[in-house]
Amino acid sequence: MKRFIAGTLAVAVMGGGIALAKDANKIVMDGSTTVGPIAKAFAEYYMDKHPDVNITISESGSGNGAKSLINGACDVGNMSRPMKKSEKDAAESVGVLPIEHIIAMDGIAVVVHESNPLQGLTTAQIRDVYTGKITNWKDLGGPDLPIVVISRDTNSGTYETFESLVMKKEKIAGKTEYVGSNGAIRQRVMSTPGAVGYVGLAFREGVKPIKVNGIEATPGTVATRIYPVARPLYMYTNGRPKKGTPLYDLINLSGTPEGKKIIEATGFVPVN
Amino acid sequence: MPTTLGTMQTATRIMPSLLLSHRTRLRQRVGAALGNGLLLAVTSLSMLAVFFIFFFIARDALPFFRLEGVREFFTSTHWYPSAGEAEFGALAMFVGSGLVTLGATLVAVPLGIAAAVCLSDMIPFSMRQVIKPIIEMLAAIPSVAYGFFALIVFAPLLQQQGGHLLAVATWILGLPLVVLGVIVFSDVATDRLRDRPRLVIRVILMALFGGGALAGLAWIGHTLGALKIASGTNALNVSIILGIMALPTVVSVSEDALQSVGRELREGSYALGATRAEMLVKTVLPAAAGGILAAVIMGVMRAIGETMVVWMASGNAARIPSPWYNMLDPVRTLTATIAGDMGEADHVTGSARYHVLFAMALALLVFSFVCNIISEKFIRRTRQQAKG
Amino acid sequence: MRLETRKLLDRSFTGSGILAIALMAAALIVLLAPMFIRGAGAIFFTATIEHRRFMLERFNRGNRPQLEAEIKAARKARAPVYRMLADFERCLATGDAAERRRYEKPFRELKKKIQILLGPIPGAPRPMLMRNQYGQTRWDRAQVKLSRVLYREEWDYSDPTRSGIMHLKPRTADFAGTSLEALFPYLKNNIDRMLLPRRTVYWQFLTDTSFDAHFFGGIWPEILGTFYLTIGAMLFALPLGIIAAIYLTEYARESRFIEILRTCISTLAGVPSIVFGLFGLAFFINTLKVSSSKSVLAGAMTLALMILPTVIRAAEEAIRAVPAAYKEAALSLGAGRWHAICSIILPAALPGILTGSVISMGRAAGETAPIIFTAAVSVGKPLALWQVFTQPTPALSWNIYNLATEHAAVDEIRHVQYGMVLVLVSLVLLLNLAAILMRARISKRLRG
Repeated sequence: MKRFIAGTLAVAVMGGGIALAKDANKIVMDGSTTVGPIAKAFAEYYMDKHPDVNITISESGSGNGAKSLINGACDVGNMSRPMKKSEKDAAESVGVLPIEHIIAMDGIAVVVHESNPLQGLTTAQIRDVYTGKITNWKDLGGPDLPIVVISRDTNSGTYETFESLVMKKEKIAGKTEYVGSNGAIRQRVMSTPGAVGYVGLAFREGVKPIKVNGIEATPGTVATRIYPVARPLYMYTNGRPKKGTPLYDLINLSGTPEGKKIIEATGFVPVN
Repeated sequence: MPTTLGTMQTATRIMPSLLLSHRTRLRQRVGAALGNGLLLAVTSLSMLAVFFIFFFIARDALPFFRLEGVREFFTSTHWYPSAGEAEFGALAMFVGSGLVTLGATLVAVPLGIAAAVCLSDMIPFSMRQVIKPIIEMLAAIPSVAYGFFALIVFAPLLQQQGGHLLAVATWILGLPLVVLGVIVFSDVATDRLRDRPRLVIRVILMALFGGGALAGLAWIGHTLGALKIASGTNALNVSIILGIMALPTVVSVSEDALQSVGRELREGSYALGATRAEMLVKTVLPAAAGGILAAVIMGVMRAIGETMVVWMASGNAARIPSPWYNMLDPVRTLTATIAGDMGEADHVTGSARYHVLFAMALALLVFSFVCNIISEKFIRRTRQQAKG
Repeated sequence: MRLETRKLLDRSFTGSGILAIALMAAALIVLLAPMFIRGAGAIFFTATIEHRRFMLERFNRGNRPQLEAEIKAARKARAPVYRMLADFERCLATGDAAERRRYEKPFRELKKKIQILLGPIPGAPRPMLMRNQYGQTRWDRAQVKLSRVLYREEWDYSDPTRSGIMHLKPRTADFAGTSLEALFPYLKNNIDRMLLPRRTVYWQFLTDTSFDAHFFGGIWPEILGTFYLTIGAMLFALPLGIIAAIYLTEYARESRFIEILRTCISTLAGVPSIVFGLFGLAFFINTLKVSSSKSVLAGAMTLALMILPTVIRAAEEAIRAVPAAYKEAALSLGAGRWHAICSIILPAALPGILTGSVISMGRAAGETAPIIFTAAVSVGKPLALWQVFTQPTPALSWNIYNLATEHAAVDEIRHVQYGMVLVLVSLVLLLNLAAILMRARISKRLRG
């Protein structure tokens, strides 16, 4: 019995000791579900070339990414919106210096079910739908079907961008259903004939994006900034990554030709 | 069996302690007390844990009430934590939690008590060994698997066939009830009459009320069948799944309560000429009422504390359904709000947004604590009644 | 009431009880059947040559000469398709502008759909994402993609006040009169020669890492993560629980303090799981700082706290079930109280304690809410043992939620979702089954 206890303690101390040695070969990414596909593809590409590095990715929302970066719980904060002043102030108050890296361009596509005959809406009409003024598709010239409005949770950068570019600070109706990720909006809209939602460019498969103010959401219109609801995608780090570290290579992957091809393959628009 | 030699050997080992010095005996006593204290400390860790949980949750919840006050949280349905002028009305979430718990209770309690009665009194022992594993398997399935089922299988089913399913359920539940009710009612109503006219009047009554009730049932079935459910992730979906999750708890605790009612009560009832149903309904169930109430309360605790199922399949709309009992509307519960909104802002960026989630957690904690105390009291009372 | 009516009521009461149990059994079947059937589809399915090619290139699995011969045969079967495509492209490039305008878009779409079905066109640069480097690996998905090649989904929105009606228009109509018309019947008739479907048993689904966001590969990191979390939770909870049970049964005298202690333990059992998650984040990670980020350690400690009451209760019951004669005999032989407990009572109670702890393990493996904030990530490599103290891990329970809701292509990876659910539910049910069997054996032993 005594030997057993002594043995367990010894193992625990050893394990703790090894663990205390700084884990230089891990990169923790946390944040936006929009940036998720890019982050996952980058991580896989990088880990393929460097098998000793472990890159873990959480997709809990842009707000969470900022918070984790400030708390020191992650190395890279993926965000689909810029950091707010309150977040930057909070970071400075604990000695964290958030450095912004723009890695891609994205457009928020407003999507409906494939059976919905609607071709396009104006931002004003979208605003009315989301504030609850319009509740049936027939008021927009469509079929007699109640509108199932789907939006993102409040910790989402996509939500914040949508709110500031389309909602113009008006409040979303109470009856809106909230889901936690781009993928979830896509799935709900794909399976519900009366639904409407908004997703990033990479999530347009299987649903019908409609024109906003007459302009379609495609990589082309986003790249040329014609599309009205376009936005950059960010990765934030604490301080500038040192050249030669895995973190540096990962962040700057978006500037290399391979990285650009990856971004295009996932459906987003690479930046120059 | 210990041999005399063995006993003598052990005795010689003990004997010296009687001849030990005062210091050694003191050391032994201190050692025993220390050991006792160490054990107590480890055991108290669980008590510490509860206190810590309450402390940490309350500590992070109170700043919200200091910042925003109490009234808006409990009375307003405007939930806009991230807007410029943030509003933190959580009434819709309280109602949502309450609604899905109510629905789950409506599903779990009748089924659970009926199943518990069946298990304790009607089924032979050998079959019990087969049925108890079914209930334990239902209890063991992880909540995320239930949530997966609710979202991927049940929600599309409700959207495509929802009306028909509801109509079928109405008929399955309603028809036996109607038939039974009509027969019993006609019997009771014609109790005082003599044989010949009684038969005639009974038949007339049965035809009249039976026809009317069946027509009513048909009408309900028809309106439900024509119903088009716009969104399959709603309160009905979650209530049914939560009810199934709470069933095992209700069944096992009710069964315990029924078993603890002694045989004398049952045998006495039989001796007075009761049928089994009358014995159960009129004597055993009332005697076990405390335990059954405890079972219901524990089912409620299970339903209200569930996170994954409601997060995935309740629709998460921060609004009181209109009218409040409309189960086909999406709702949002406290647990799903905590899981979904967690971490948008924390105490570093400081704000009511972080603390309001802890306020919700505090509400949940207090509610489950109160439920726990009440159900413990009922269980203790039934146990005492059974003993004495 | 007449006797017949009372008898009728009695029968229907019995009937309602049996109906309730039948409904519960039906609910169990309705829950488990899709999981088992579709989950088995992750391991037992009809795989195409693309799957075998992936296995060969990534894991070096399979009979190399035989596989290479198969790949060559498949390529030969596909060659006419690519030839027709190349010819048509050349035709378009040299033809007139009107023709180009008419056929360019349908042709581009057709090429894209064929690439999704069969993989990249030979000679084209290698795509960056792994999912584009291979064609369809599962025959059932291949059938779906084939119909997308052969038919175009056209929505009839002519009446804007009614929902659109979908028509499947054969793509041959788009290319009527051109050389490409022959492509479609050829494709349809020779798809099995191009993809060489064969029934496969992919056991390594349980031991392979996932590639490209679960498009390929298996679920090993998740299984390992759940394993670490469960074992870690038991390592924390079991000693604490046994010691607490020993104290409560052997040493404690019934006092106010002990009553409060028992109430606290049962309160702990009733706390909602999300509150445990919040507490784990606030206490273990933010206050105690057991790790700088999420980690398996923090998650295991949170889970241990959650299953502690169950372990205490099970241990208490097991210790109480040991006949008093054992303890009295030990004490009469002169053993000290602690000695008696350690050498006589605990070993006798061990099977019961193990039963309770196995059930708790099942609970810890299945819980999601406590690990959302403390240990779980969506993507990560399988952890080595010494990494569990500092690094987070994917876990079955969290990743089921993640894949079912957040994934970018949920319909492509349905089999992985169901596979994960199957593994988790099977794991939990097996643990419970083991506990039930153990309990039956113990009660038999204690009775006779």
